[in-house]
Parts: sequence; C-alpha cells; structure tokens
Amino acid sequence: METTAWLVLAFPLAGAILIGLLAQHVPAKLTGYLGTLAIGGAFVSAVLTFLSLQGREEEARQVVFVGWDYARSVGVDAQISILVDPLSVLMILVVSGVSTLIHLYSVAYMESDQGYARFFAYLNFFVFSMLLLVLAGNFMLLIVGWAFVGAASYLLISFWYRRTTATKAGIKAFVINVVGDVGLVLGTYFIFKHTGTLDFLGTFDSVERDFEGSTGDLTAGCLLLLVGAFAKSAQIPLHTWLPDAMEGPTPVSALIHAATMVTAGVYLIARMHPLFEQAPAAADTGAIIGAVTLLVAGTIAIVVTDLKRVIAYSTMSQIGYMIMGVSAGAYVAGLFHLMTHAFFKALLFMAAGSVIAAMGGRQDLDSMGGFRKAMPYTFACFCIGGLALAAVPPFSGFFSKDEILLDLGAEGGWHWVLYVAGYVGSLLTAVYTFRLIFRAFFNDPVPEAQELMDGHLHHPAEAANPATGETEDTDVGFPGADHHIAEQSPFMRVAMGILALGAIVGGFIQIPKVTHGLESFLDPTFARSEIEVEPSDGLIYFGLVLGAVLGLLGIAIAYRIWVQKPGTSAAIQARLSVLHKLFSNKWYFDELIELVVVRPLSWFGRFGQQTFERIFVNGALVGGTTGLVRAGSAAVRAVQSGYLRSYAALLLGGLAVVGFYFLLQA
Amino acid sequence: MTLHLSLLLWLPALAGTLGLLLPGRLTARALALLGSAGALGYAISAVIDFDRRAGGLQYVTDETWIRTLGIHYKLGMDGVNLFLVLLAAGLFTASMLWAASREWERPKLFFFHMGVGHTAVLGALLAQDLALFVAFFDLMLIPFFFLTGIWGPARTRVTAVTKLVIYTLVGSLLMLSAAIATAVLAAEQNGTELSFVLSDLQKLRLGAGTQDWIFLFFAAAFLVKMPMFPVHGWMPDGYRNMPLPVLAVFSGVLSKVAAYGFLRIALPLFPDAAVQFQDLMLLIALASILYGSAMAFTTTEARLILGYSSMAQLGFIVLGIFALNDRGAQGAVLQAFNHGLVVAPAFFVLALLAARAGGSEDIRDMGGVALRAPVLAVLFLIVALANLAMPGSANFVGEFYILLGVFQDKPVYAILAFTGVALASVYTLRLFIRAMHNRVGPRVESSDLKVADGLVLVPLVLAILAVALYPQLPLEKGEKTVVASVAAARDLAGPPAAIGATPVAQPPKPVSGAAAWMEAAAAAEAAAAAGGAPGVEEEPAP
Repeated sequence: METTAWLVLAFPLAGAILIGLLAQHVPAKLTGYLGTLAIGGAFVSAVLTFLSLQGREEEARQVVFVGWDYARSVGVDAQISILVDPLSVLMILVVSGVSTLIHLYSVAYMESDQGYARFFAYLNFFVFSMLLLVLAGNFMLLIVGWAFVGAASYLLISFWYRRTTATKAGIKAFVINVVGDVGLVLGTYFIFKHTGTLDFLGTFDSVERDFEGSTGDLTAGCLLLLVGAFAKSAQIPLHTWLPDAMEGPTPVSALIHAATMVTAGVYLIARMHPLFEQAPAAADTGAIIGAVTLLVAGTIAIVVTDLKRVIAYSTMSQIGYMIMGVSAGAYVAGLFHLMTHAFFKALLFMAAGSVIAAMGGRQDLDSMGGFRKAMPYTFACFCIGGLALAAVPPFSGFFSKDEILLDLGAEGGWHWVLYVAGYVGSLLTAVYTFRLIFRAFFNDPVPEAQELMDGHLHHPAEAANPATGETEDTDVGFPGADHHIAEQSPFMRVAMGILALGAIVGGFIQIPKVTHGLESFLDPTFARSEIEVEPSDGLIYFGLVLGAVLGLLGIAIAYRIWVQKPGTSAAIQARLSVLHKLFSNKWYFDELIELVVVRPLSWFGRFGQQTFERIFVNGALVGGTTGLVRAGSAAVRAVQSGYLRSYAALLLGGLAVVGFYFLLQA
Repeated sequence: MTLHLSLLLWLPALAGTLGLLLPGRLTARALALLGSAGALGYAISAVIDFDRRAGGLQYVTDETWIRTLGIHYKLGMDGVNLFLVLLAAGLFTASMLWAASREWERPKLFFFHMGVGHTAVLGALLAQDLALFVAFFDLMLIPFFFLTGIWGPARTRVTAVTKLVIYTLVGSLLMLSAAIATAVLAAEQNGTELSFVLSDLQKLRLGAGTQDWIFLFFAAAFLVKMPMFPVHGWMPDGYRNMPLPVLAVFSGVLSKVAAYGFLRIALPLFPDAAVQFQDLMLLIALASILYGSAMAFTTTEARLILGYSSMAQLGFIVLGIFALNDRGAQGAVLQAFNHGLVVAPAFFVLALLAARAGGSEDIRDMGGVALRAPVLAVLFLIVALANLAMPGSANFVGEFYILLGVFQDKPVYAILAFTGVALASVYTLRLFIRAMHNRVGPRVESSDLKVADGLVLVPLVLAILAVALYPQLPLEKGEKTVVASVAAARDLAGPPAAIGATPVAQPPKPVSGAAAWMEAAAAAEAAAAAGGAPGVEEEPAP
C-alpha cells in the first residue's frame, strides 16, 4: 500500500515535469496523451490503494507513511508524511477519477490551442497539488498542497495570458487564496501552540486534553481554518474570485472550479472534525456561512446571463450545502454530495464547453437558444447533469442533497433553520438550472445552432474577448482555428458518457434505509465522532417527498417562465427591479471590498509614494544631504567626477596602509 | 578536515588585485571569476564537512593582531554564518559570471572592486573579533561606493553615492564608537584586560544601562545597512544607480550581513538591551514589512519593487531575530539565506527583461514576454513564487518559523505581520504579470534566455528548488549554534517556552478579539486582491 499511495502523487508530478521538459521537442499531441496517462496512472494507483486499505482490519485503516524530514527543528516536527485512510482514499479516487476524464476531454477540446503542451503540464501539476492536499499527513504538507492548488489555479485561470481580463482574474484568485493560506497557517499556529505537533493523528489524539481550559484558542484556530476553507471553497465573503475564474478554458472550470479545488474546504472541515467538534462556535459559523452562501449564490445564479458563470454560482451554492453539512456534523452526507457533485458538475461544464464551442467562444445566454436538435448528445448530457443538480429522483444529486438535509433535520435544535434554508435553496437550484437548459436548448434556433444543423460549425470572423470586445491575441491560444464539440469528438463523448453514468447511478451507493456503502466505508475516519443522529422514518419519507416535489416544482416554474410565456421574466424583472438589481450586481460584494480595502490601501500607497517618501525621506532626514550635494555639485563639476573617485581611492588606500601598519606591529 | 578560512577570505581580493596588475584583456574577468569560484568551492566543502553536533566555532583561525588593544585576527564558522558564507560565495560567483559576459568600461577596475567587495563581505561574516568585524563591515562600503559612483548612470550617480555614503558613514561611526566602548567598558567594569574577541566579550556582560546605548548604536548601523523603515532614505536612489550585477550582491548579501550582525553581536553581547528594546525592534520590523509592501505595489519601477520587497522581507528577518526565541532565530537565519538566493536571480531576470523592453525598467513598458521566452518565464515564475514565500518554498519554511516564534510570545505582531505575507503575493505577481503576461509592450522585443545568462540563472534556480525540497539541511546544520546565539536574550525575555514537545496547561488567553480582528484583516487582504493591484499608475491606453 505504501508504494501505491506514493505513486498516486508521483504519477502526476512526473507527468507535469516530463511534459514541461519535452514540450519543445515532441509533437504537441503526445503531451496530451502523456498527461492523460499520468493521471490515469494515479487513478489506478488510487484504486489499488483503496483495495489494499479495504483488505485491512477496520481499526488499522488509518496509516501514516513518512517520506523524509522536511523542516524538523527546535520542536517543530514538519515531515513529508502522508495519511492514508478512508477519507483521503475517497478523495484521491474522486479527484484522480474525474481528472482523468477531464484530461481525456481536454485532449480533444484543447486540440487547436497554441498552448496545448503548457496546458497539460499545468493540469498535471494541478492534479498533483490537489492529491498532495488530500493525502497530506500533517499541517505543513497540507499547507503546501493548499498553496500549490492555488498557484496551479492561478496559472490555469490566466492560461490565455494575453487577455487582461484573464490575468486580472488570475491574480484575484491567487491573492484571495493566499488570504486563505494565511488563515490556515495562523490556525495551525493556534493549534500547534497547545498540541506541540503538526501531525494530524497526533493532534487529534490529544485534542481534548491539550485544549482543556483554553477552548478560546481552539475556537480561534478553527475559525482561522475556516478562513482557509472559505477562500478555497468560494464561500462568502471570500467567493468573488470564483465567477471571475471562468476566464480559464472550460476544462479548467470543470476540473478546478467544480470537481476538485473548491471541495478542498469541505475536505478540510471533514478532516479536522475532531477539532471542530470541540469548538462548536466555529462549527456553527461554518454551517451558517454555508447556508448563507447557498442562498446568495442561488439568487445570483437566477439572474446572471453568462452560461459559465451561472454554473459557477451553482457550484458556490452546492459547496455551500457541503460546508453546511460537514460543519454541522453531517460528514458522510457532505462528502457524499461532494462526490456526486463532482460527477454532475464536471458533466455540466463539459456540456457547456461544447455549447460555447458551437457559439464560437461566446458565453452569453441572451444570444443562445435552440441547440436541442443541433446537439442532441450534448443536450442529453446537460439534462442528466441538470436533473442531478436539481435533485430530481433517482439522479445522484437527489440522494446526496437529501442526506445532508435529513441529517440537519434530525439534529434538531436551531439546525432547523439550516434545514429550511437548504430546501429553499433546492427550489432555487431547480429554477436556475432549468432556466439554463431552457434558454440554451429550447425555443427557436439561433443562427449558430442553425449553422450546426446544416452540418457546419460556426466560426466567428474575428475572435474577440467577449468581456471587453478587444480582439484576441491568438498567439497564446484560444480561440484557435478549430473548435470541438462533443457531437463530433469521440474523446469528449466518452468522457461525458462516463460522467453521465456516474451522475445517474452515483447516488445508489447511499440510499436511506436501503444502502449504506459510503457510510460504512468512511466509518474508520469518523469512528471517534461524537455526533450521532438517527433520523426518524417520518423525517426520512417527508424529506424524500419534499425534495422531489421542490425539484419538479422548480423545473415547472422555469418551464413556465422561459418556455411557455417568454415575456414573463421581463415582467418579473420590472416588478422586482430592486431585487433584480441586487442579484445581478452580485449583492455588491466586489464594490464593498473595493470600498473597504482597496481604496484605503491605494490611498496609503499613494500617500507613502508621493508624500512620505518625497518630504520625509528625501526632505527632513536627508535635507542636509541634498543641500550638501547641490552646494557641492558645482565643486564636483569643477574637478569633474574624478574628484569623487580619487577621494574614495584615498580612503581605500589609507585603510590599506593603516591595516598594513598594524599587521607589521602584530 | 582542516579548512583555512584565511584562504577562503582573501582569495577573491587576491584574484581581483592580480587581475588589476596583470596584462591581458580577459585576465581580470577570468581571475576574478576563479577567485570567487574558489571561495564558493571552499564554502561548499565547509557546508559538507561542518559538524552539526559540535557546539561553538569550527575551523577557527586565531592570531593576535594588535596586542596592546587586544585585537585578534580571529575567524570562525558556526551555524549562524555557515550558510551565509555559502550564500555570499555563491552570489558573488554568479554575479561575476554575469558581469564577465558583458562589456564594462575599465573592466579591470570593475572586477577588482568586485573582488574586494567579496572579501569584505566574507570578512564581516567570518570575523570573530569585534574590531575585525567593524573593519570589514566598513570596508564593504568602499568597493560598492566605487561600483556605484563609476559604473552607475552618469546623471544621477553622484546624488545616490552621496546619500549612500552619508547614511552608512553615520551608521559606521556610531558602530565604531559603540564597538570601542564595548571593549573598553567591559574591561573596565570587570577589571580584565582589554579584548575585542567576541567570545571574551560575551563572558563579560556589561551593565544594563551601558548596554542600552551601545545596543542602539549598533542597531542604528545595522538598520541603515539593511535598510529598515524609516532609515531607508538612501535606498531608492542607491538601488536605481547600481549596475544590476552589483545590485544583485548588494541586495542579496550585504543586507544580510547587517541582519547577521544582530545575531552575532547585538544579541549575545547585549541581551538585556535586546530584551529592553524588543518591542521597539519588532515595531520597526513590522513597519518595514507594511511600508515596504505598500511601496512595492505602488511603484512602477521594477528595481524598486524588488528593493521595497527586500525591505519587507528583511523586516521578517528582524522580526524573527527579535522574537528572541529558538524558532524565530532559526527562521531568521534560514530566511536570510533564502532571501539572498531569491533576490539575486530576480535582479538578473530584471536585467533581461529591461533588455527586452528597450532598456526600460518600468513595468508599464514591459509585457507579453512569456510567449517567445518560455524558459525565462518558467525561471522567473519559480523565483517569483519563492519570493512571495509560497508554501513549498524554503522561504515559506523560514517565514513559518519566524512567525511561529513571534506568535509564541508576541502574537499581535505575528498576526499583523501576516498582512505582509498576503501583500507580498500582490506585488510579486504584479511584477511577474506585467513583465511576462498581458499584451506585448510597444517597445518589447522578446527572445529567450541566452546560454551565458542561463549559466547564471539556472544554477541559482536549481539551488532554490533544492533548498525548497530539503530545508532540513540548513535548519539542522545551524540548530545548535543558532539556538545558542539567542540563548542569553531568550532566557532573560521570559521562562523557557512551554510550547512544543511538552504541552502544559496555560491560562486561557483573550484570543476571541484577536480572532475577530484577524478575520477582518483577512477579508481586507482579499479585497486588495479583488481590486487587482491598486496603485498610482494607470493602465496604459490600448
């Protein structure tokens, strides 16, 4: 098991380095296959690790493997060590599995991009980072993986780096992620201060004893860990980078901003559950923020008109469910939703990528429509993903979302607020998901769809950045000469087909009162959890029915507004103009941050630059100096600059003579 | 193994002098390069050979120099200067190699000064006698005075050099008088014979009141040299006027010598004063971090971005030193090494970028180089990520130790300093993006790295990667003596830290307020990012 676990990390890293080194010397096509193979290798290793873990006694399913001492000194025990247990194995299976499919999809989707090899090198590095994050056996390595993921994400978001919108989005994502890193590091400090170890298992073993009488520090530590989780998982108020991250190529959106990176926060809270259970205030904060995020993101998703951004906000909202779940103690349910969401969200993004390609790179819903007949395969995939997202039975999202809300309902207490919020969000989800489907695929075909039905893929005359309208610099890639759509590419079809299958059947692993596959698998990790809930039969059946009804109701509403009576949405907008303005301005979070942080900071910078440096540093402190220089400069000019030189030469010579004298004296 | 530190010390100056005297167009560069490379080889063998279990100095050379004054020619290595010597030798070699492939006016003189500068730096690092330290510390100024004054841009170099000299001379004079006072008063107060040897002085502790002003004099000299806020007035002009290979070693090594001075002289000799002024020093460090960061992301001159960024990074080093505990000191020593290793290649990259942007070092004139220069882009990316102390780099390990050390005893400073960590990512990435990404600047002619430049940059980047993979080596080699260098101050500052291996129940601390504050700060930093890089400059019109 030790070898296979390390191989999970070694394959993607080797892939990234190899592609990087070979890029200039081999045909580009090869790098795509190489990258896919590397991640495939990681997936196979993950499966082998899974099998050998299952072959062990249940009590022995948490194993630490130590590579080498990393920075071990003066009581800080930072090692390169990985922790293999059901939780990390679930994560590596999901991450490497979905990533393999996304690589496969990219092999075709990115085919005509100038930066093909670079793309796969980045993608491999990203997967390596994510796997490192989930396999890390101590805080130091966790932080490393955490930051690598942020850096890889930055590279991929600004992949088309001649677009200023892309580089701006990249730096925004990176910096917000660094804020998250800072939270994580500080949180680690608070915890390390009492436990004296960075090792996870060592920390968890003695939580209760170490923090006896100082729960304040533990709460502070956990809150800071949450800052890290929020930044990576795009939870309010650290979410503003995620929608902008859609500047990256669509497979990136699928990989990072849906299936893997953004789930890191969920993983973190689940991993740290022994800490959070001792710090209920922090756990409650996480649950509340999750609930708020899922609602806010849901309302924005209803009004945004950019295809990818709608899905991005839906991701934010679904991650909100997961964060809410794992924070409130519904660990298995939260991770279950993480898994099913990885399938159907990757699928949705892939289908969206196909539509965007058919549109020649344009993403706005307003100019889409009628793609149903032109792209039947994409349409079918989009519907499967959409039904799973809208939580319609028997699709996977139905069971996983239901499980979270069921646990919250069974916990009782004030958690019923979360329970209600979850169901409100459920309705919103169904509405915005099918708004997307109805607007893109129904009604009259737009010219691009018509063109496709005539057997020809639309190519814009001149590629332009949809956000700014400026002409694209196609040197660095997209949009290249060709686009690829799922209908015509076997690679893309296979990748989407497998994910569609997962989106349909993925939920059967864990059905209330029927199967408990995931729960029993994850049990060794959560064995020591003190949270036990036994939902009553009534609650189970009520939840199942309510979830199904809300999902179908949402679809019906969307159908009514966007298909049956196309004018309705404008009418609603007019009547609720205040709300519409709030939602379509994304609740003014960007503006708020601008006002509170950016303005004061740039004021401070300008003050320093223009006032402080000029007056204080150049004036008061060296006023004499500059005066001296001005007065002396005439003299200097008189004897030319040689004067300075000879002066200093004298100094050097003098020093040498003095030194020599003392040397002789000695 | 016996290593003769005198050989290491004088080799570069000797090679420089020979180059000056011998005829031949290429002799000077070849000799200077050989001299530095020899020193580097020597430093590497010292690192390999160094016994981490032994306490105290190794490879000691001790000769009486001026008997009547008690001044010794004493050199030695321990964990505090081991990796700094390696850094100095490495960076000077890289710089010489860089300079050797370029044309200089009066090349012999140039390489002579570089050689003398190298020896002066090594001398300051190796000296184990206070007078010897002061002599080498001041000697450092002279070659750099020439290098700036002769080879800087003609229009502005006089102002720059004057500022540099006045600032550092004031510092040097203070230090000289403080050094003399230290030895004289130590001998007087303890009734012993006059001695400048550090190990002797360490045993003869001065009275607390005396320590205070002497400490401040030393601190002033070191702070000016680094430089720290608010005595950085010479820095912008100084940085603007130094030729880039000179600046690479100046920023990479000379600033570290000052930080090293705190650990070698100020903390062991004046522990009471160090404790007394701990908060003052932490405040100066913090101000440098914040001010340096704010300046770095408002200026558009690439040199000054790196200059102010160095100021902020040195702030972290001082923060670590004045945590006055083991972890802070370990982090500071590691970080001094790391920062030098990162900032020097950054300046080399900057030279290449300027060459591609029609000679301009303003980031508004750069852009879009990455496509035609992928190798350069990758190297710069690694350097940039290391500079912003991304986890996974050794710089992060250094910062982790420093801030952990500060957090232990002075949590508020640590929390505030974390703002600097987030800001570092803004200004560093801003530089990277403006140079490498976005639209191609109007005057930009991009081309990839030439072999000669690659010979300098690639080894430096490989060294960054190596130490990123195994920061354990510098940490464990230095541990014993680094800990010893802060021991006196640490023991005075408070009871031995209860944190770490033996968890002890501690009184609950009012952290909730701090935590809430922290979240606010974190959100604030996020916003800085959200607005892109705020600054005085405007986007150039397309």
